[in-house]
Amino acid sequence: MTRPDKANGSNAAPDGGTAKRSRKKVQPEAPSRFYGTTLPGVKLEELSGTLFVLEGTDGSGRSTQISLLTEWLESEGFAVQTMGLRRSFLVGQDIDALMAENSVTRTTLSLMYSTDFFDQLERRILPALRSGLIVLADRYIFTLIARSAVRGIGRDYLHGIYEMALRPDLTFWLNVRPEIAFDREFKKAQTISYWESGRDMSLSNDLFQSFIRYQSLIKREFEYLSKRHGFIELDGEGSVSEVNRVLRKRIASHLGIRSTHYQPSHALSHLWR
Amino acid sequence: MATTFPNIPAAEDTAPVKVVATKRQYPGALVVVEGIDGSGKSTQLYLLKRWLEIGGYRIHFTEWNSSPLVKSATRRGKQRRLLTPITFSLLHAADFADRCERQILPLLHGGYLVLADRYIYTAFARDAARGCAPRWLRNLYSFAPVPDITFYFRAPLDVAVNRIVAGRPKLKYYEAGMDLGISLDRAESFRIFQERILSNYDQMIETDNFILMDGTVRVNKLQKLMRQIVGERIDLGQFAPKKK
Repeated sequence: MTRPDKANGSNAAPDGGTAKRSRKKVQPEAPSRFYGTTLPGVKLEELSGTLFVLEGTDGSGRSTQISLLTEWLESEGFAVQTMGLRRSFLVGQDIDALMAENSVTRTTLSLMYSTDFFDQLERRILPALRSGLIVLADRYIFTLIARSAVRGIGRDYLHGIYEMALRPDLTFWLNVRPEIAFDREFKKAQTISYWESGRDMSLSNDLFQSFIRYQSLIKREFEYLSKRHGFIELDGEGSVSEVNRVLRKRIASHLGIRSTHYQPSHALSHLWR
Repeated sequence: MATTFPNIPAAEDTAPVKVVATKRQYPGALVVVEGIDGSGKSTQLYLLKRWLEIGGYRIHFTEWNSSPLVKSATRRGKQRRLLTPITFSLLHAADFADRCERQILPLLHGGYLVLADRYIYTAFARDAARGCAPRWLRNLYSFAPVPDITFYFRAPLDVAVNRIVAGRPKLKYYEAGMDLGISLDRAESFRIFQERILSNYDQMIETDNFILMDGTVRVNKLQKLMRQIVGERIDLGQFAPKKK
């Protein structure tokens, strides 16, 4: 039954030309889902899911927000997949091992992180998006670009590597001052880690100073990236419930969820401050 | 969705590859051999190395895929067949970066003549045969110093493939390009994969100033030519033993 219509349509197109052109206009967003070259073997029209990214420095509250958002989305009936740094099966544990040694150089570490990223993207995130899932990314290419850029690796070089990354539907930046991040991180671990304070960069022998300087450099990169990639900037210093309310509002309007009401379950109530 | 984000400008992939020769900032020199498996390149580089070693020159020999830092990841990826063209390429680039930053660059700055068995062109030829975009690959390896001489050993496909198949009981999965699904027959897949790599190498003869070496010429005759070219193009006196 549909056959005659289809045949007519395809016959009409070469003559009129308008049918084809107007069809192209309907979905201009499809090619823009990748920054540059599409990953080999990926068909964009298959990706029916949605990718939301939470970015921000250490201590900006990303992980807390992702736990809460996951629960909220699941209660709304959406299936959620998460991703984060060093979580790939391929090289996740190798990066941990490399970082425990002090012999790794900046380019190697940077490329190991890209391997980790693309392994998760190709073997976990794209399959999830093909199945229509919501993907919540606890950090994305932006942290990886920022960390390498402050260590002197060229921004164009880094953007070139990640041009095959999938463009997020929304990217939230939980912006906090380095001093606040310090308080939060110290409270969490009772100490400040080697990499979070950028000690490989020899910024200062005073760990507090080193942390502040390093996180300030990262923050400056984020300001640049925010402009370049259109981040939604949020005040990460607000209360957990307030930040979560704003996130739910933006996500709900993107997904077409009417109600943004949410009260965390008993299991997560300790996060609600 | 999300169309409001500005596009990162991306150069056309069809554009000719531009090779910018950066001005050398080190006293050392870099000699590279490239070519498909079985082209005779390793034998020739070994003989060149022996010649220089016996003469007492300041040299260092380095080969692809030798960094212990990334070895466990590469092994896991290959054994379990987890690698995609992109992660295969990135993992090898991470490995190369380690060798480059901790070995090749310090040696070049320290005034060594560095001999490399395979270099970035191996990745360009092999990863492009797997479907990675040439422009993406060029960017990925743009941190690598440009060689002083790149010898490209070329042998007819049949000669090279026969040399490899005769010397090896079983071709490995990735080596044979089985991940590309060209053919279920490993020997056949290997042949087609090597053919693609060979054609990618051929395209770089001009863009990357390869010196073409005929891999079918007798070993000692070819070595004589190689030593002559090295002597002409590199000031070997710079690397000669200091007289007391």
